[in-house]
Amino acid sequence: MYTSTKKPQEGTFLWLAKIIAGLVIVIILGIHFWVNHLVAPGGLLSYSDVLAYYQNPIVPIMEVFFLIFVVAHALLGLRSILLDLNPGKKLLSWINIGFILIGIIAITYGTWLVFFVVAKGSGA
Amino acid sequence: MSTNEWSVTFEVFRQKKGQPAHYDEFVMKVDPDEYVLDVIERIWAYTDRSLTFRHACHHSTCGACGMRINGTEKLTCITPIREVTRDGGKVRVEPLRNFPILSDLVVDMGEFYLRLDEAKFPQVATLKEACLPFERKQQVREDGNFERLVDCLECGMCISACPVALTSPEYLGPAVLAAAQHALHQFNDKSLFDYVDNQDGVWRCHSAYECTAVCPSNVDPGWRIMDLRKNLLRHQISKIFSR
Amino acid sequence: MKNEPNSINLLRWFDPRNRKLGTWAFILNRITALGLTLYLFMHLIVLGTLARGPEAYDNFIKLAKTPIILIGETLVIAAGIIHGLNGIRIALNSFGIGTRYQQQIFIGLMVVAAGCIAIFVKSMFFGH
Repeated sequence: MYTSTKKPQEGTFLWLAKIIAGLVIVIILGIHFWVNHLVAPGGLLSYSDVLAYYQNPIVPIMEVFFLIFVVAHALLGLRSILLDLNPGKKLLSWINIGFILIGIIAITYGTWLVFFVVAKGSGA
Repeated sequence: MSTNEWSVTFEVFRQKKGQPAHYDEFVMKVDPDEYVLDVIERIWAYTDRSLTFRHACHHSTCGACGMRINGTEKLTCITPIREVTRDGGKVRVEPLRNFPILSDLVVDMGEFYLRLDEAKFPQVATLKEACLPFERKQQVREDGNFERLVDCLECGMCISACPVALTSPEYLGPAVLAAAQHALHQFNDKSLFDYVDNQDGVWRCHSAYECTAVCPSNVDPGWRIMDLRKNLLRHQISKIFSR
Repeated sequence: MKNEPNSINLLRWFDPRNRKLGTWAFILNRITALGLTLYLFMHLIVLGTLARGPEAYDNFIKLAKTPIILIGETLVIAAGIIHGLNGIRIALNSFGIGTRYQQQIFIGLMVVAAGCIAIFVKSMFFGH
């Protein structure tokens, strides 16, 4: 075999995940931008507005979903760009671990932040 | 016979093994309707016998004479001088990108040909199968069962033009993926799906379509890669539901 | 050339000389992708001010009204629109849709993008 016989590092399903995340983002980003800045009272430009807005249960749910899809798409995309630079097998496994970690941290942090705001808004 | 004569400066890329790359200038008297390859041959024949380049059929069938003229991939046997410069102008001649340079304008096509073999490149096909599916109507004849060589000349220009092949020599490349698509269509060999379903295969393409833009032979590798993706997706999804 | 280290060739990704329209799509998509990813992480970090009380967030919002930030936000929106529309075209192509006319579709989508960006700029800088 003159091409690599190693296990594929981006087969159909990883790519599909990236593309479907992308298509979902197009929709949710539109909604996110529109409701956050054009529908929400005050355009969410003050702390109290944000807290009040997040009391509506749909908001934290949508934002968390949005976060997961965006982080997944961004990291899968970045990984594709790095794959274009033809990294060796070992470097690639470090990249994989690194990105998975970054993804988990970003999603965990974002989800925590969302629920912090919800709790602050209902408690205060 | 044309009595028109232009004076054109040719800047030709030179690199012999172990030596640094540089450009040599040759001022040539050319007929604007003759082809770039003819002039390169004249440079070799009368001025510098150490210039190496590939050429064979001189009529866009063999794919040997692909080079970069003024930065763009061209099949030099069918590229007239007037298409790339004017009287008193300059022509820059360089070898194809993304292949190892053997000597001057000659690049190493070895791995490329081996990959085409792995992709089961079909050299000959029925008239209907030899061209793009949306051009079938023009190609089919009612009288008899004819075959011809498929459109791909194996010239490598698409790989030279591909921005991904620039940094990823492991990437199979447009020609190989197009060959796999062609072979899949003709022979229905499902093992080819595995051959292209990885980060060096069909998923490395970033839709720049430079391959389609430079192909001198109507292969449309960009279209074929997307067609391959579509069929691969179908194949993978049906695999899930038929377990 | 294949023999050169990838870090040099990486810059050649963004060199549009002697390239056709498709390379512009590739370059735009890649640059907007990198810009948007950077923005994503900045956005997540900046929203952390919400956890530090009203002053922190409100102070940040004051900062966000300065011209430099407004221009930055405009660039982000432009990047998002371009990347999104181009991404839709890429997704459709990969399902076999619109491949024959992908150049025209790209031009059409970028015209739409330019229109949307113009509307956004108008409402951002010159009021609704």
